[in-house]
Amino acid sequence: MDPILSARHIRKSYGAFVALRDISLDIPRGERHALIGPNGAGKSTFIACVAGQLSGVEGQMLFKDENVTALQPAALARRGIGRTFQISRAFLQMSVLENMMAAHVIASGRWASLSRAIYAERAERACAMLDTVGLADRARDRVADLSLGDRKRLEFGMALVGEPDLLLLDEPTAGMSIKERHALMEMVAARVDAEGRTLIFVEHDIDVVMKIAQRVTVMVRGAVLAAGTPAEIKANDEVQAVYLGGGH
Amino acid sequence: MTDPRILWAQVARAAVNWKLIAPLLIAVEALNWLAPASTSTMLTEIAILALFAASLNLLMSFGHMVSFGHAAYFGLGAYGFTLAVVRAGLPPEAALLAGPMVAALGGLIFGALCVRLTEIYFAMLTLACAQITYTVLFQWYDFTGGDTGITGFMTPRLGLSEAGYASFALWTVVLAVLALWVIVKSPLGLMIRAVGQDRARAEALGLGARKVQLTAFVIAAFFAGIAGTLYAVLHGSAFPDYAGLSLTLDGLIMVVLGGLNSFAGGIWGAVIYQLLSTFVPKVIHEWELVLGFVLLGICLAMPHGFVGLLKRLGLGRKGGK
Ligand SMILES: Nc1ncnc2c1ncn2[C@@H]1O[C@H](COP(=O)(O)OP(=O)(O)OP(=O)(O)O)[C@@H](O)[C@H]1O
Ligand SMILES: [Mg+2]
Repeated sequence: MDPILSARHIRKSYGAFVALRDISLDIPRGERHALIGPNGAGKSTFIACVAGQLSGVEGQMLFKDENVTALQPAALARRGIGRTFQISRAFLQMSVLENMMAAHVIASGRWASLSRAIYAERAERACAMLDTVGLADRARDRVADLSLGDRKRLEFGMALVGEPDLLLLDEPTAGMSIKERHALMEMVAARVDAEGRTLIFVEHDIDVVMKIAQRVTVMVRGAVLAAGTPAEIKANDEVQAVYLGGGH
Repeated sequence: MTDPRILWAQVARAAVNWKLIAPLLIAVEALNWLAPASTSTMLTEIAILALFAASLNLLMSFGHMVSFGHAAYFGLGAYGFTLAVVRAGLPPEAALLAGPMVAALGGLIFGALCVRLTEIYFAMLTLACAQITYTVLFQWYDFTGGDTGITGFMTPRLGLSEAGYASFALWTVVLAVLALWVIVKSPLGLMIRAVGQDRARAEALGLGARKVQLTAFVIAAFFAGIAGTLYAVLHGSAFPDYAGLSLTLDGLIMVVLGGLNSFAGGIWGAVIYQLLSTFVPKVIHEWELVLGFVLLGICLAMPHGFVGLLKRLGLGRKGGK
């Protein structure tokens, strides 16, 4: 199977602290892949490496067979990597709809335009996406006034606007109720499948992981402990010992 | 569900509030033609500084880029115009365009340097660039006239009366501010705001943040250059102080005084600041003391400045002017 993303011997240190030690990972095209592990395992750090947001990363990152190791975040986004952040990041002082429109302007590449034509062209799609992520009636509200869960939804919708081939979601369901979590991730999975995208998501709710992921990578202290199908991971004694049994 | 385009129009609020602005402009014009010449000159200076503050406000309120060197582009505008007349021999009317162009070019060169860093480091770079500009203007006697500046090279105000030139400056500033408004409400303006609010988010969506910041910087420099040009024409002179730190600080004070994060903030701030600095010294010798207390009050009690006060009083409906 031809991988869309291939991480080879990725290492990243914060000063003397080694956050990622020799991570190698292949993600096949179209897979829904979960990244799990206890707090501080390096999951978010790995996501940031893939998205090009960290400096001083060792190793090699191949995306669609291209070496993208040294590329900047914007260049990676334009090549088809979209992400959301663990601590959700949206344009806080803008309204929800303006956030969505900003994503559209960026996706269109017309960032330097002085013409408002694109607003008329994309208004319908921007509103439709708000509807998709369940924020249609919040369009006028400032993002700063949104709940954490709603910010996560907004971010997810904004990431989709760029039609990324690889979507990285860092704890997309944090701050949501169990019911909301399952609903959101089922919607994400359906959408990703329908549009032929590849998904890597970080998730602490193991039930969600079991339901949504086709393959799981377990990280512990900056290294890969195990990888396999959800059933394999659940049956793995080592994983049970350090993670699943550990109160999660 | 609301029609998406109507919803967008409500959210983006790009309409100009002419009901508020038109009577204001007419009143200013009436005052200009009825009052003595000294009032016209004061109005001219207020209009010029309003444009200067509005250009700085584009960077500060929308790009969240704090510049400690914005006067450099005011100065480059003034000298661009003056040197085009004195050294290139252009007629003053034709040289009017040279000022903003030189300022924008300066903004392009210095801006490319400054946007490599962010936050306080960005601010320090803008300061460094402004100090370089000032020093060159101050020291290069053969070309810029050095610390004595350049005077007596043209009839001040292009030969217009005080009121005539005030009118010219006022309408130039109105057009320039409208242009800034169009920019802020355009996709480019949305991108400037996006980078200002969350650079990493914007980059993760595929936006080259530096390109956006540099564009904003050049635009702000261009409009500061228009202000500088108008100022040089008003007095028929150019001095290194036009690019000095004290004008930069004045600009920063105006923006904070008027209210950060609003389009009209810089403009109102300039008006209030100029009025205070004209009239308070006539009553109290230590006008800086008064200014100090006004600023203290604003920062502590009214973080959204004068525009915030208007909004609280239910007046300044939108970000009108
Ligand atoms: N900017 C930073 N500077 C220093 N250390 C950092 C930095 N970012 C992360 N770390 C450390 O690196 C380790 C991995 O962090 P990371 O955020 O990748 O973990 P995680 O697996 O995402 O954890 P969580 O489940 O809590 O989100 C942690 O020990 C963290 O303290
Ligand atoms: Mg994390």
